[in-house]
Amino acid sequence: MKFTRTPALLAALVAGALAMTSLTQAQEIVVTHAQGETTLPGVPTKVLTSDWAAFDNLHALGVPVAGVPASNAPSYLQGFVAADALQIGSLFEPDFEGIAASGSDLYIVGARSREAYATAKDILPTIDLSIDNADIIAGIEGNLTKLGEVFGLQDKAAELNAALDAKVAEVKAAAEGKGKALILVTNAGNLGVYGPDSRVAWIHNQLGIPSAMENVKDGDHGGDSVSFEFLLEANPDWLFVVDRDAGTGESTGAAAALLDNELVNQTTAAKEGHIVYLDPQASYITMHGYSGVMLLLDQVLAGLNG
Amino acid sequence: MRLLILAIVVTITLAVTSLFVGVSDVSLGALLSSHPDDRPMQVLLISRIPRTLAIILSGSAMAVAGLVMQMIVRNRFVEPTTAGTTESASLGFLVITLLAPGWPLMGKMLVSAAFALAGTALFLRILRAVPLRDAMLVPLVGIMLGGIVGAATSFIAYRYELLPSLLAWTMGDFSGILRGNYELLWIGLACGVLAYIAADRFTVAGMGKDFTTNLGLNYQRVMVLGLVIVSLVSAVVLVSAGSIPFLGLIIPNLVSLMVGDNMRRTVPWVAVMGAGFVLACDILGRVVRAPYEIPISVVVGVIGSAIFLYLLLRTRRHAA
Repeated sequence: MKFTRTPALLAALVAGALAMTSLTQAQEIVVTHAQGETTLPGVPTKVLTSDWAAFDNLHALGVPVAGVPASNAPSYLQGFVAADALQIGSLFEPDFEGIAASGSDLYIVGARSREAYATAKDILPTIDLSIDNADIIAGIEGNLTKLGEVFGLQDKAAELNAALDAKVAEVKAAAEGKGKALILVTNAGNLGVYGPDSRVAWIHNQLGIPSAMENVKDGDHGGDSVSFEFLLEANPDWLFVVDRDAGTGESTGAAAALLDNELVNQTTAAKEGHIVYLDPQASYITMHGYSGVMLLLDQVLAGLNG
Repeated sequence: MRLLILAIVVTITLAVTSLFVGVSDVSLGALLSSHPDDRPMQVLLISRIPRTLAIILSGSAMAVAGLVMQMIVRNRFVEPTTAGTTESASLGFLVITLLAPGWPLMGKMLVSAAFALAGTALFLRILRAVPLRDAMLVPLVGIMLGGIVGAATSFIAYRYELLPSLLAWTMGDFSGILRGNYELLWIGLACGVLAYIAADRFTVAGMGKDFTTNLGLNYQRVMVLGLVIVSLVSAVVLVSAGSIPFLGLIIPNLVSLMVGDNMRRTVPWVAVMGAGFVLACDILGRVVRAPYEIPISVVVGVIGSAIFLYLLLRTRRHAA
């Protein structure tokens, strides 16, 4: 009896131990991201992010976020931030002490907070979800897929990606043959043009709306500085406007007042009523978030059909 | 006198050139051959003439303001952007924009000027307490004061998420100038004329308080007049176009090298050269990357800091 039970027990123990090790191995998740590879010991339960686009994507997937930037929450996301969410510093300067003390198991940086990666990766598992402005839609889909794998929500991610693809296709179809456009950014009375490497480049790159001006190189915050005369000469059929003052807090309507002048009113876009004001926060602050881009796509669509 | 006429001719040439530089096709031929309602004439009236006037008005006003400031502070290296005046004006503009965003521009400009006045008065007050009035120490005090006021302004702007807007206001740029939004700058011209009328008083005040009082002038009143001129000019230029660094410093210094320190003689020179310098810089900014523009503060900053350095090193050599 004794002799027959022991090997069986031993075998069971060994089998159990093997099963457990293989189980932990299966739980380990390797994430390849913009600044390297990060290994997560398992599905993270407490997630922090310094990037509103990452928050947007996590929210779209249904993942709760435990810590968010202390400021600049886009209004269309404000209702979704948990009341007890930690505030972990500004977009540019995360509060590393707070992050270290929070006992979180994943920290996501992106665009403005990407510099924080170097410091944060030694404190807790960190990933950088920055994407290339020249290919924003594919970048967002890649990030959703990545997050889907991390949280075991692959199906949800595929569903969101399909919806995004469908929306892009719909707007692209609506834009066909509607003429050329300029993407303007207005800032305290100054005008800039956003080019094909900018944060709203998808209007040109993905929707296939050609630029009314060749060689807009600038992808920077304020765009390439231009005069009203420039608008008159470029004479775009469409103007997509990012009101940067509104995007960073000032009251809306400043861009509309600025563009209502004797020169702009002579352009085709103004005469036809083809000036589309984009949600300033989605276009200027989040840029790479799923629901933000969906919102912008809807606004472009409404403008094109309106 | 003949030289001054030459300078005026050069500046007028630059002004005329400025009218014909831009994205739209505005040439003499196009103007004459087209109907007045057509594009060339419209662009000239709505955009080119206002822009050129704005440049001339702010260039000459800032340069004269710098000259007045150098007289009342009795230091060659002081001007509104190195004495905290421009920073104070920005603070005032930010505060009133936050408190009363709906106010007309004129009202905001006056609040901005009041802050500039207070900031400059504070600067003079601090100078009185500085024991050693070393030539380099005075602008240093001004730059530090400007730094403190600027830090307070940035902090408020940061709290209200207005940092990018603040940057855009304070960055000098004439690209947004159109008929209807530059007219406040005529106040700058009025200030320039006032400075010319009071030129002799400023020249005397530049020789010191005791000297001025001995000549029977009210020193305090001359100082206040100077402060008002400097503050108003800084505020109108800031509100209309943004700040233009170094301008008030280099032009009066160059003029002083050429024609000396008698303000009645130097004011016309400073005004003409200030306008000409800014015109040249603005034309350069419009041409280099056409059809895009380089803001005036960048162009003036680059060229101006080179001249500033030259002036600094030159003084050093003379002192040694």
